[in-house]
Amino acid sequence: MKKATVIFCIVFAITLGLSGAVMAKGSVKVGIVLPTTGSLAKFGEIERDAFLMAQEEINAAGGINGLKLELLIEDTTGRPEVGRSVVEKLITKDKVVMIGGGYSSSVTYATAGVCQQNNMPFLVNTGSADKITTSGWTWIYRLNPPVSKYASAVESLLTQVIKPKTVAILHENSLFGTKGAKKFDKTCKKLGFKVVLKEGYEHGGIDFKPVLTRVKQKNPDIVYMISYIMDASLLMKQAKELKLTPKMFIGGAAGFTMPEFKENAGVASNYVISATLWHQVLPFPGAMEFYKKFKARFNKSVDYHGAEAYAACYVIADVLKRAKSFKNTDIKAALDATDMMTVFGPVKFTTWGKMKNQNKAATYVVQWIDGKLELVWPKEHATKQFQYPIDWLKVWGY
Amino acid sequence: MQKKTIFWGVLAVVALAFPLVIRSPYYQHLVIISLMWVIIGSSWNLLAGYTGQVSFGHAIFFGVGAYTAGLFPIHLGLSAWWGMLTGGIVSMLVALFVGWVCFRLRGPYFALATLAGGEIVRLIATNWESLTEGMVGILIIQTFKSKLPYYYIVLVLAVACILVIERIMKSKWGYYFVSIREDQDAAESMGINTTLYKNISLLVSAFFTGMAGAFYMNYMAFIDPEVVFSLHFISIMAILVGIVGGVATIWGPAVGAFIMVGLQETFRSSFFGLAPKWISQAHALAFGLLVIFVIMYLPNGIVGDWATIKRLVFRTRRTAG
Repeated sequence: MKKATVIFCIVFAITLGLSGAVMAKGSVKVGIVLPTTGSLAKFGEIERDAFLMAQEEINAAGGINGLKLELLIEDTTGRPEVGRSVVEKLITKDKVVMIGGGYSSSVTYATAGVCQQNNMPFLVNTGSADKITTSGWTWIYRLNPPVSKYASAVESLLTQVIKPKTVAILHENSLFGTKGAKKFDKTCKKLGFKVVLKEGYEHGGIDFKPVLTRVKQKNPDIVYMISYIMDASLLMKQAKELKLTPKMFIGGAAGFTMPEFKENAGVASNYVISATLWHQVLPFPGAMEFYKKFKARFNKSVDYHGAEAYAACYVIADVLKRAKSFKNTDIKAALDATDMMTVFGPVKFTTWGKMKNQNKAATYVVQWIDGKLELVWPKEHATKQFQYPIDWLKVWGY
Repeated sequence: MQKKTIFWGVLAVVALAFPLVIRSPYYQHLVIISLMWVIIGSSWNLLAGYTGQVSFGHAIFFGVGAYTAGLFPIHLGLSAWWGMLTGGIVSMLVALFVGWVCFRLRGPYFALATLAGGEIVRLIATNWESLTEGMVGILIIQTFKSKLPYYYIVLVLAVACILVIERIMKSKWGYYFVSIREDQDAAESMGINTTLYKNISLLVSAFFTGMAGAFYMNYMAFIDPEVVFSLHFISIMAILVGIVGGVATIWGPAVGAFIMVGLQETFRSSFFGLAPKWISQAHALAFGLLVIFVIMYLPNGIVGDWATIKRLVFRTRRTAG
């Protein structure tokens, strides 16, 4: 009994000592919270890779005024309570100067609360629930647009080209899905489209046929889906099997722009359109180079998630370079003064509407055309003509 | 006997002095979460281990306790601490209903009914947005920045929970519970009102789990239905804590809680950043292997089979020496 206790104490002490010893000198530490395991891991990985790529480039170019930029990437596993403890650990144990990352609305919402309470600057780059920047929090900054703005490009495409009469909305029962669906429902009412069905489904579901059958009975002009990755692919595959043929399938970003969507859904992904926040052909300096470099290095395409993370890393570096010191108030002042161009577009944090410290970013519409994600809307940036109308059965090879 | 007194004395001093000595909020957090699991695991153990009614739905009581606390600030403008008084009681009310429905079933059927119950409650919390805010969740700002108050609150709760359970198990009730576990029909024929005592066991269990839930709301300051009604992270975790530590032992779930929380964090952080990152992906596998190992070689859990462990360790030591 005694011996076991002694051994335990020794092991514990060694663990403590080692974890303290890995601290690097001459670096400035920034915590990055991402889900790199669990069901959201695909998004977390793409963002982690983009962060690491940007970090290398920044350090190769001299780092932060001579200091190395050190990113501590911590796994939230996609769960709010883990995210919360991870941020606490970054603040108290690792003593980071600011926090970045933030994927998925619920996790970001919970972690942002901790940052606000601890006066810790947090630059969110993907978590998109409106609440994150409408809660009056002063230490939280957001690079990406809030979810309520995700569909604005889709809206103009709908009113100008597709002109649907009836709409069905499917969404995952998550903070992101529920809020996005509610907002799109409102938009449809405003634009005079009739919402014939609005239905949530459970996270991790695999059989969407019951709900898709109901959609088919209502025969809507468009089907709008707010989904993560597996559900997005499965929804399209099963829509194909049921021969559900509305005028257009529209994805509300997230899963529908990921390379894995095409791989999993196969031919069923063709001609599906999605809202997106970024595309490599946009006329932002470095956007195409970033896309090519990422593809060469990781052998996979990168979508807006990667661009957000990559841009966020450059914003963080810029902020730290400009900050008078690494004190939280100085970093906050530097964040407030941010006005820079990134691969994701211009970044500036302002207060507008109910939003605080929110960057204004535009949204776009992309379409999967012959296995490639092409920018189709707004017209002035388009890489390919918007394919419409579509004979789905022919496309699917029936 | 004296050795025992010294052991408990040392343990008490360590428990009281821990947050004063280890100042890192990170380790304090891990111990607070472990203590919370001591409560949930011990409560589960009272119902499943001692009374033989294996529950797969302890997230019901945990979540109800947490939401009871969370609803105070959002609907009544009161502090979530009111939930500490009411969370356990509301959980008991829910448990009355659960017992009324589920205790008509026995063995695996009871387990399945509680499993379904947990999912039902989660769906209600997800969809009843006007009451629970749905998937938006409830976020409050913590009362204390320091972890000390939380630590002592949860420590008191955990100690109270274990003492109450120990007291019950030494009383007549305890014998009734065990007799129900061993043979419900025999117990019934001995004149024990099995329905009544199963319900008593469930109510006590639900009360403490609900208290833990209310504490969770106050401490973590954020809940949503996926978090507090989670099958995987609450209901199953409660079972694992019980099984690994030792079913039907007073101290088993307490030991199990520290082991499980420790393991979870060790894997999440890839052995505190010492091992390659891919290790963190293997945490589910490691949990699985641990459970298989415990069930095969230590069926009574680490505390239940402590004698076996001691013998094994002792023997290998001697041959090594």
